[in-house]
Amino acid sequence: MDYAWDFSAILQYRALLWVGLVNTFKLAALCLVLGLAFGLPVGLMRYARARWLNWPATAFVEVFRNTPVLVQIMWFFFAFPIISPFDVNAFTAAALGLTLNTVAFSSEIYRAGIQSIAKGQWEAGKALGMTRRQQLIRVILPQALRRMIPAFMNRAIELVKMTSLASVIAYGELMHQAKTISTIAFNPIEMYTVVALIFFALIAPPALAVQRYEKSLGRRD
Amino acid sequence: MTEMLRLEGLVKHFGDLEVLKGIDLTVMKGETIVLLGASGSGKSTLLRCVNFMEVPTGGRVHLMGNQIGREGRGGSFDYAERDLVPIRARVGMVFQHFNLFPHMTVLQNVMEGPRTVLGLSKSECKMRARKYLDKVGLGWKADAWPTHLSGGQQQRVAIARALAMEPEIMLFDEATSALDPELVGEVLDTIKELADEGMTLMIVTHELGFAYTVADRVLFLSGGRILEEGRPDDILLSPREEQTKSFLRGHSRFRLPDTPGQEQA
Repeated sequence: MDYAWDFSAILQYRALLWVGLVNTFKLAALCLVLGLAFGLPVGLMRYARARWLNWPATAFVEVFRNTPVLVQIMWFFFAFPIISPFDVNAFTAAALGLTLNTVAFSSEIYRAGIQSIAKGQWEAGKALGMTRRQQLIRVILPQALRRMIPAFMNRAIELVKMTSLASVIAYGELMHQAKTISTIAFNPIEMYTVVALIFFALIAPPALAVQRYEKSLGRRD
Repeated sequence: MTEMLRLEGLVKHFGDLEVLKGIDLTVMKGETIVLLGASGSGKSTLLRCVNFMEVPTGGRVHLMGNQIGREGRGGSFDYAERDLVPIRARVGMVFQHFNLFPHMTVLQNVMEGPRTVLGLSKSECKMRARKYLDKVGLGWKADAWPTHLSGGQQQRVAIARALAMEPEIMLFDEATSALDPELVGEVLDTIKELADEGMTLMIVTHELGFAYTVADRVLFLSGGRILEEGRPDDILLSPREEQTKSFLRGHSRFRLPDTPGQEQA
């Protein structure tokens, strides 16, 4: 193969790439924080014996787990503004799709993590006179969260990758910026190689850290 | 003597299964009650109804002279969770599997009830926790993690955790059943000490020798009813009911010969 690689155009447009990197980070961070924050109540609702709490949570989780994120983002960008009074820009549409997806998946992580704690722990708190809420906050969650950390990290990694889907509705994250640069500079081979490397550099260190943490958890239990 | 607990016609169903079929029992302050019976006889369920870990299906519970729960409409009876939470705070319970909080040190385990439930100040909780850890002989393990303790030590911490709430009555649900034989003694000693100090105790156990030593009154349960009750001498040495006899025979089928000079039990 005698392709002559030429990365000079990428250096020339590095400011555009930098904007993309910042936007990727903004989108991922926002969706992660909101997704984890709302995942807990949704996960707890799925526990509830009351049907009016349990049923909507289950429906929500199933809808967002069983449809592609790409479709969700497109739907929020094109369909949602028409059936609702809200004006939705690319960032909002992408954030909505990714956040709700993260809520759905993280609620399952919370649920599984809480379920993994022995029933005797709830009972010990209850016997001391704790309310159900105190049992959850003082006894169950501190133990469960430790076990959930690897699953949440995997979610975060998945989320960073999924932000690239926002390029289809022209949100200026890394992937979209790369597309723009490659159109201007006619260098898709170099450009997408660099984007792949950037994503790898972003994701590999935390992924390795999770693997290590999981191993150390295994040793401790 | 004042009355601590009175059960009237206590009934508990789990779905179609009727576990308690009408229990009448009065426990006086300072009394030590031992509950015996085969597995499935309802003794643990009875204990768990006293602090409302299980909510009774029927009957009445009076604790320290107060009837628990509210009379509903049409003869029904309601136990609202918000009424039961403060009851549990006044009744201590020790479990078969200790159920210590593994994410807290020994000291934090014992502080947790006073801190979260009673809302005492941190220094007060610490003082209390140290006091009760010393009482069970584990003050020196205050900063250890529960998983680093032996089973017997863990159970003694669990006793200290329950005591730190300064309960009116303590319930022991097979507190030594999960322990290696050589660790049973230290836990029984701790319970015995509480009985001697005049704490009101209800104990589910399979240790007949311990029951004989510690109990003021022994109840033998069968099929969700109290079949026989009385002083330990009467129930353990000369039971009237055939079921009690066969239960006791089963528990003492193999015995060491009595060594000369020792009191015969």
